[in-house]
Amino acid sequence: MSKQLDLYDIQGNICKGYGRYGYPKARYCFLRFDDPKQGRLFLLDLIKDITTAEAWEAKEDSPNKPPCTTNIGFTYSGLEALAIPQRSLKGFPVDFTAGMKARSHILGDTGCNSPENWDEIWHGGRVHAWLSIYARDSNMLESRFDAFLEQLATFAGVELLSGHRGPNGTTLNYQDASAVYDNGMPTGKEHFGFTDGISNPFFEGNGHKISRLAGRGKLMRDGSWQPLATGEFILGHVDEAREYPLAPEPKMLSRNGTFMVYRKLHENVDTFARYIDNLAKDFDGSKDLLMAKMSGRWPDNGAPLTLAATDEEKAELDSRIADLKYRSLEGDECAAAQLEQLYIKWVDFSFDGDKNGSKCPIGAHIRRTNTRGSLEHEKGAFDRPGALVDRRRLMRRGLPYGGIDEATADSAEQGIIFMCVGSSIERQFEFVQQQWVNYSNDFKLGNDKDPLIGNHDGKLTDKHLIQAPEKKLFEAAKAPFFCTELPRFVETRGGDYFFIPSLTALRMIAEEMIDPS
Amino acid sequence: MANKSGKAYALTTLCPINDGRVVNDKGIECESYDKAVRRLLQDIPLNEDSFFARVDNTYFARLFILNDVFFQQGNDFQQDHLKSKYLCFNSNFHGELEPYLTQMWNDCEAEVRNVWQYCVGFNRVNTALEFITYIKACQLKTTLFFNGSNDESLTKQLKALYVKQMFSEFVLTQQGKSASETKTNFKYFLQRVQLNNLESPSWKPAQSELTP
Repeated sequence: MSKQLDLYDIQGNICKGYGRYGYPKARYCFLRFDDPKQGRLFLLDLIKDITTAEAWEAKEDSPNKPPCTTNIGFTYSGLEALAIPQRSLKGFPVDFTAGMKARSHILGDTGCNSPENWDEIWHGGRVHAWLSIYARDSNMLESRFDAFLEQLATFAGVELLSGHRGPNGTTLNYQDASAVYDNGMPTGKEHFGFTDGISNPFFEGNGHKISRLAGRGKLMRDGSWQPLATGEFILGHVDEAREYPLAPEPKMLSRNGTFMVYRKLHENVDTFARYIDNLAKDFDGSKDLLMAKMSGRWPDNGAPLTLAATDEEKAELDSRIADLKYRSLEGDECAAAQLEQLYIKWVDFSFDGDKNGSKCPIGAHIRRTNTRGSLEHEKGAFDRPGALVDRRRLMRRGLPYGGIDEATADSAEQGIIFMCVGSSIERQFEFVQQQWVNYSNDFKLGNDKDPLIGNHDGKLTDKHLIQAPEKKLFEAAKAPFFCTELPRFVETRGGDYFFIPSLTALRMIAEEMIDPS
Repeated sequence: MANKSGKAYALTTLCPINDGRVVNDKGIECESYDKAVRRLLQDIPLNEDSFFARVDNTYFARLFILNDVFFQQGNDFQQDHLKSKYLCFNSNFHGELEPYLTQMWNDCEAEVRNVWQYCVGFNRVNTALEFITYIKACQLKTTLFFNGSNDESLTKQLKALYVKQMFSEFVLTQQGKSASETKTNFKYFLQRVQLNNLESPSWKPAQSELTP
């Protein structure tokens, strides 16, 4: 029997990326508890509003789908402020206890990324709680936020913190995020122009349709896909090492909860656009191809380079899609099925046929952050091709922010609120950030970094290597292409590590019913 | 087991540290010798400033203290302990042991005396020859080679690393240039790096960052 999770006990943001479920608007609020009792009373009042992971469809008319979502998480300092028993507190892993600022040396948060350059809210003492609201539109977001403010006002000693950089030089007491809109419709784009957030892990019991498994689960030796172990993403369940993830006692405090990384990543859009424009002059291919060779996916529709690795192949793919779409609209069911199968390849692919990176460069963003089976340099070296990545998968839960400044300069307030959930911040997020984003030993690329999010400084050797295309018969071999003097496209503007408790644990915290003995 | 692999030598020594305490200038015992040695090791400058950077052909050198061995938990409760605390000295270098130690003594006598001063019997070491005899008496036969260099002379390896760095940077600057321009630039590049001059320009021993 496959694993059944109590989805009504798990917070909804763990199992769903709300942005893709019809909630393109979000607001993140950060709280401080000055009085543990008032803090607990506030939580008790909030429990009824928390959105759980119960399964509902993405489409608008799903009856269980709420108008807005509400979720909450706590920093270690927040749990201390709520007077959780010491014995439980001491059971949390060191990464979470220390928090993001203290881990800046691991994360590459140096230079302009370093904590002194973060938004003001992250200066001084740590925030205590993160509260998120997602809504279907701006009006619903504002009315939910107003209701939350009213609720908050009745609890003296629970403070909504200010200090987020907002648009046009403002300072706000919340961080807004929003899908990027095109012609009035939300898209999956971020501000550099890439289609983002296409592939997220699939784990056992997550409540999603099994049709989403291929490309998202773990790759087996025979080429099939299996769901990742629940314990990779939710505490109190067995993980890929067949162990329970490190979590505090009592078990009911941690079971069905998880950890979340919140990270505000500013995008220097002007610098990025100028860099691409300038480099494209020397590049043998379109500007879109150059961008794709940095990310691993085509910017316009997110198709992976493994599916179309040149401008010509992309043109063929686009025309095939256009044809299938047209025939589908005409009622051709066969074409509709073919189109659906084609889109599965956006996620269901490996780098097996591209060992030398001639299609998707070995240092490209998606090949670093989800290596799939590509680190098995000798076939059969591991139990499964992706054994090394299966313990380092990132469940991303973020949205772009900003983009409404009048200015287009780098100083314009825009970027991505990056969030990811997982049962070990150190093993998953921190490892990927340190070893695969800001270093390249595992890829045999020396000190190269992720071309998009690496902490580059514009030096000659801050580079990304685009391997040459496969040599064709009767054609001269082409040279590889170097993207040199990479500047810092993305800057960290703040963040922290949060514990996202289950509904059971939230009530235990609120009712001061935690007994770790 | 061989201490040599081609022209590379792997030296591993365990020098016992005196059992007892350091007496301060007031005649009072203040700390055990191993603690005093640990402090001395911590004060050795790193990288280019380390005295090992002055000992020719050192690929890799390390000093640390072995206090005891740790008990492996399990059903077997027999515990082993070391007879002494040891100053461990490892060095991987190019060439033969005796000339290496001779140069180490001749060029870094003050530092060597300072580091080894609390080791058993070291007070009787006063010449390069006695230093060689002492180190050999403490030597273990191992095959613990530093997996980061070949067996060429350090000068040759540093030059190779320098050329590798410079060539990588040269390649990055030639993208998009015509073949004739690249050829001309390569000629200048060869003049600048002077492939046949191993001494200069090159990386310095123990250089810890790329040449700017």
